[in-house]
Amino acid sequence: MLQYTIRRLIGMIPIIFLISVVVFSLAKLMPGDALSGKIDPLNSDPAYIEEMREKMGLNDPIHVQYIRWMSGVVKGDFGDSFVHKREVMELVGDRLPNTIILGVSALLITYCLAFLMGRFSGRYAYSIGDYLISGFNYLALAIPSFVAALVAIYIFSINLGWVPATGSIGSGVEPGTFEYFISKAKHTILPALVLGSLATASYTQFLRNDMIESSRKDYVRTARAKGTKESTIYNKHILRNSIIPIVTLLGFDIASIFGGAIITETIFTYPGIGYLFVESVNARDYSVMMAIAMMLTVLTLIGNLIADLLYGLVDPRIRLS
Amino acid sequence: MEPVTQPTTVAVGSMIKPPKSQSPWALARRKFLKNKIAMISLVFLIMVTVLSILAEPLTVPVEETAKINLTQMSKEPSADHFFGTDKSGRDVFARTLHGGQTSLLLAFSITIAVITIGSIVGATAGFFGGWVDNALMRFTDFMMNFPFLLFVIVLKSIFLESSTATLIFVISVLSWTGTARLVRSKVMAEKENEYILSAISIGCSPFKTITKHLLPNVMSTIIVQATLTLAVMIVAETGLSFLGFGVPMNIPSWGNMLQEARSPDVLTSKWWIWIPPAAVLTGTILSINFIGEGFKDAFNPKSNR
Repeated sequence: MLQYTIRRLIGMIPIIFLISVVVFSLAKLMPGDALSGKIDPLNSDPAYIEEMREKMGLNDPIHVQYIRWMSGVVKGDFGDSFVHKREVMELVGDRLPNTIILGVSALLITYCLAFLMGRFSGRYAYSIGDYLISGFNYLALAIPSFVAALVAIYIFSINLGWVPATGSIGSGVEPGTFEYFISKAKHTILPALVLGSLATASYTQFLRNDMIESSRKDYVRTARAKGTKESTIYNKHILRNSIIPIVTLLGFDIASIFGGAIITETIFTYPGIGYLFVESVNARDYSVMMAIAMMLTVLTLIGNLIADLLYGLVDPRIRLS
Repeated sequence: MEPVTQPTTVAVGSMIKPPKSQSPWALARRKFLKNKIAMISLVFLIMVTVLSILAEPLTVPVEETAKINLTQMSKEPSADHFFGTDKSGRDVFARTLHGGQTSLLLAFSITIAVITIGSIVGATAGFFGGWVDNALMRFTDFMMNFPFLLFVIVLKSIFLESSTATLIFVISVLSWTGTARLVRSKVMAEKENEYILSAISIGCSPFKTITKHLLPNVMSTIIVQATLTLAVMIVAETGLSFLGFGVPMNIPSWGNMLQEARSPDVLTSKWWIWIPPAAVLTGTILSINFIGEGFKDAFNPKSNR
């Protein structure tokens, strides 16, 4: 396992290198000057701009510029943001906790809902409840996240007024206090609910089908023959075996937690990574954009690795090689 | 798909002819026609498509939908305007139909492009194997690493004059990978059959073997994949337009219409501006998903619903 992990990690290095080339070239292809964060936008004197370009090395050959950017990236330095006048890493570090809170709550909601629905559907397959649940799942699969977000804001924020529609924290709340926590939770719950409940379909279906399949296995027949209570059979024997495969889906979710929230974060103007990305593309803030694109792509790679490792952990019959 | 042979019971001395066995396609068609949800969805989808195509004769020419009419701002639904008018005084009904035209046309074009690229790459890799397969699949895996939405936005902002054509190009370039993988695995399984060996041994060129023998036999998989892709692409287009990175603002599309709901005023008190595109959009995706499920069921010889 360890050997496999190390080999996979080493195999990632050339891929990350290629990805960095792609990200850098895309940023270079974009209109305007990439990496032009430090030029004073108010000073349009051509001589000054030329001088600054020379000073920042924007007139250097392209591979020299790439090597300079990449050597910063390796050290964790993505340069400065043009709009925010801060280091990119600081900026991303500010927004990252919000995205993580949102992603983890959404994932919890997905798992809880999918667990409850899948358990019910698996046990009472082909009942009315099962059909209702699969109907809900079809709808959740079909409804685009931004439509769901709009409807959720319309109902819960505007008509019922339970939770705020935008932002991640109320104004004038001190960090560390209990009110801070409540305010954070109130701002996070709605986007998390939208993100989380739309993603349940595959999990629910997975758990349901696995439970139905397991209920025909020999060990279940043995348990029945021994006179075990039906609820014990389902909760102890079948569920425990069926819940494990679901864990493997977690790896694929890691990247989508960070990258998939772009639309939801933008609608709720929730200051996370996704919203920062949209802002930076709109403002042509190249260093931030490149940093986020780079980080999310690497996260996708790591997520895939974790998914593969979890497969091996959960099912020892799968040999990783 | 395996040829299905029906059991033929021939009674001794009877004149009853054995029932003619049906082709897999006929069987699938019959199974699909019996699937109520899929048929209702198909009717709904055809209805939406036809209404969208007939947008111009039914309502106003597309140029009219872009015109701002200050005397008709934010009117509630009435006999003049079935769905009311939006904040710029444009008829919501006309815009929903024209928007459908844009969104559906875009999704169909992207789907065709994605399926074509994916099938070519997948079939080539699966048929030839060896280093061709290795190179193509490495490239596919590499393309898969890029988070979709993120890179569509990045690529889109490279093109200064944004048009629907660039959007089709950008989305297609980033989303053929799944289809390629699927087609490859199917082709690899299918080419082990004897009929492929015999086709090759009587001297069929690789091109002819793939197009005449392999692809027709993996067609059912491709059709199901195309249906699901269509639904995903409608979501992608509307989502991107909603964020402002999709169809140019002056062209009506469902995503662009929904963008109006980002202003709190519209969302709160002018429901008729955003509910129609939202409802039609969700209904369309739902029906496409059901049709896809119906295809999957119909092509599966093991399912007997």
